[in-house]
Amino acid sequence: MFSLVERGRLASRVAVMAARALWAYKLRSCFVIAAVALGIASLTVIVASIDGAERKANEIVDSFGPDAVFILGGDIRSRAVGQRTLTLSYADAERLRQSLPGAYLVVPMRARQNVSARFEGANTQLPLVIGATAGYAEVWNWPLIEGRDLTEADVARGAKVGLIGDLPAKALFGEASPVGRTVFIDNLPVQIVGRLAYRGFSAGGGGAVDDRLIIPISTLTQRFNLDRKYFRALRVKFVDPENMAFHVENLRSLLRDQHRLAEGAPDDFTILTADEILKFLSMFKGGLVLFLGITAVVAMVVGGFVLANLFYLSISERRTEIGLKKALGAPSGAILLQILLEAVWLTLIGALCGMGLGMALGQLLERLGLLELLLSWKIFGLSTLAAVVIGLLFGLKPARQAAAMAPMDVLKGEL
Amino acid sequence: MSEAPLIRLEALVKSFQQGDLEIPVLKGLDLEIVAGEFIALQGSSGSGKSTLLHILGLLDRPSGGRYWLQGEDVAALPDEQLSRLRNGVMGFLFQSFYLVPYISALENVILPGLYSATPGRSLRQRGQELLAEVGLADRMSFRPGQLSGGQQQRVALARALVNDPQLLLADEPTGQLDTATSVEIMQLLSRVHSSGRTVIVVTHEAATAAYAKRTIFLQDGHVLPG
Repeated sequence: MFSLVERGRLASRVAVMAARALWAYKLRSCFVIAAVALGIASLTVIVASIDGAERKANEIVDSFGPDAVFILGGDIRSRAVGQRTLTLSYADAERLRQSLPGAYLVVPMRARQNVSARFEGANTQLPLVIGATAGYAEVWNWPLIEGRDLTEADVARGAKVGLIGDLPAKALFGEASPVGRTVFIDNLPVQIVGRLAYRGFSAGGGGAVDDRLIIPISTLTQRFNLDRKYFRALRVKFVDPENMAFHVENLRSLLRDQHRLAEGAPDDFTILTADEILKFLSMFKGGLVLFLGITAVVAMVVGGFVLANLFYLSISERRTEIGLKKALGAPSGAILLQILLEAVWLTLIGALCGMGLGMALGQLLERLGLLELLLSWKIFGLSTLAAVVIGLLFGLKPARQAAAMAPMDVLKGEL
Repeated sequence: MSEAPLIRLEALVKSFQQGDLEIPVLKGLDLEIVAGEFIALQGSSGSGKSTLLHILGLLDRPSGGRYWLQGEDVAALPDEQLSRLRNGVMGFLFQSFYLVPYISALENVILPGLYSATPGRSLRQRGQELLAEVGLADRMSFRPGQLSGGQQQRVALARALVNDPQLLLADEPTGQLDTATSVEIMQLLSRVHSSGRTVIVVTHEAATAAYAKRTIFLQDGHVLPG
């Protein structure tokens, strides 16, 4: 019987033979590599985009904060036609401030859309100007890179001061500091007192979250002549995030009482928590994973079939070579190993090409802003593993067929 | 006989299945070959001479009867051991050479050695010596397609000898060669024989058979009494 050392030597010799054979049949090898590469490329993009989506989701949830809720007027889940969305009043906010246990910051918000902003020669269009009360940056866990947050005094005076988001700050001031400068928003002069850090994800339907300017809500309602009783949304922060379920229930009954809703009547407001956002995002991610996963599997299986087909062809083409090797004393195991190694060599090269292609494609998609990708060693491992599995799985049948060939099958032709 | 025979066949039978029909090719063959013989196997087309050579070379199994090689009953050995015997004890020459087209002459020569336990370095050295012996020292890195028929058969002969086999089996080795080249190949085979190896050549050419020391005639699956 073969000793371990002999087996090792035989295996390494067979590995070299496999590489030689692949080199000899370059065109066929290229086809297999291309087929596998396409499958692996799609796998790479898919895994990267799923990871990217997850990272984004975590960022969103992190910035939302586990200790906060966001309340919107109207029931966004029922989406009834003609439903009132201006249901939250200053009286509500006041009641929450005074009687909601555990809440330490309550910030009502209103927004004005599509307002132009101007500083000296520079102009920009703001998708959102938000009116808020003291502690806007704090209540959104949004760091200020310079300046200060809005204060009680700002709101009480209806001061013409504001916080500027990253995008308009760059558009109007470039690299210079905006703090202390005066920006005109629809001819209202606003002195910038703070600059918000870059957050980098899109707000729900309202464009980039960084593309905004925040002024005291009193200033906004006066200057833009908005309803003085109601606002659109409310942000509440609590001291202890462990008891969020309890806080949310308190908040809900308080608001229902405040709005005099009868028993059984639906809420006329919506309370969002980090948990709910996470639920929504993972639902969205689940769909993405399923859809892209099926795509990846199909692409890989196609690659596998191309491999199997070309290997069957290759084996009938190389009958003589295989029969000869058996006649010269190659054990069946060596033939099996050679064909399998040929398959695995090709799929590994295909995997490398595919990863390169996938990363290039991913960069392109990211640059076009279509996808958020996260490339990692996990992808490298997963692609390599997938390639080896495909090589072994689809190479096994042709390899066994080759190994089972009798030397006679090839040599009998001669008489 | 003082010497145990290298090969002993007893009532050897071989038949091929063709649909429902069983076609007998070898019909109870008895034969003894001692080490060091140079034998020509002759017979008309369909007499079973190639079939006999394939069975002797362990490329095919008999349907019945016994086959002792070096005193060992090999008819029932598992495939793995037959591979080892083919690799270590036998060398083969075929009518159409059967060289692997995409590797060099030298790589073709050492191919059987790759399946043996011989270390790579001594294998290459032996391959080079053998190619030099058959007169192809300057063609080692040539591909088979760049060599003439006679040169290819000489590469095949070097390959047959690389594992230093006791038995050389040649199936119509001159069948695709012209007369002059045939003479060269048969002279090389004679040298192989005089170095102490047993050589068995299947041929239908009298000129080729003339190099052998004993001729065995096959007719209808039987050995003709000589």
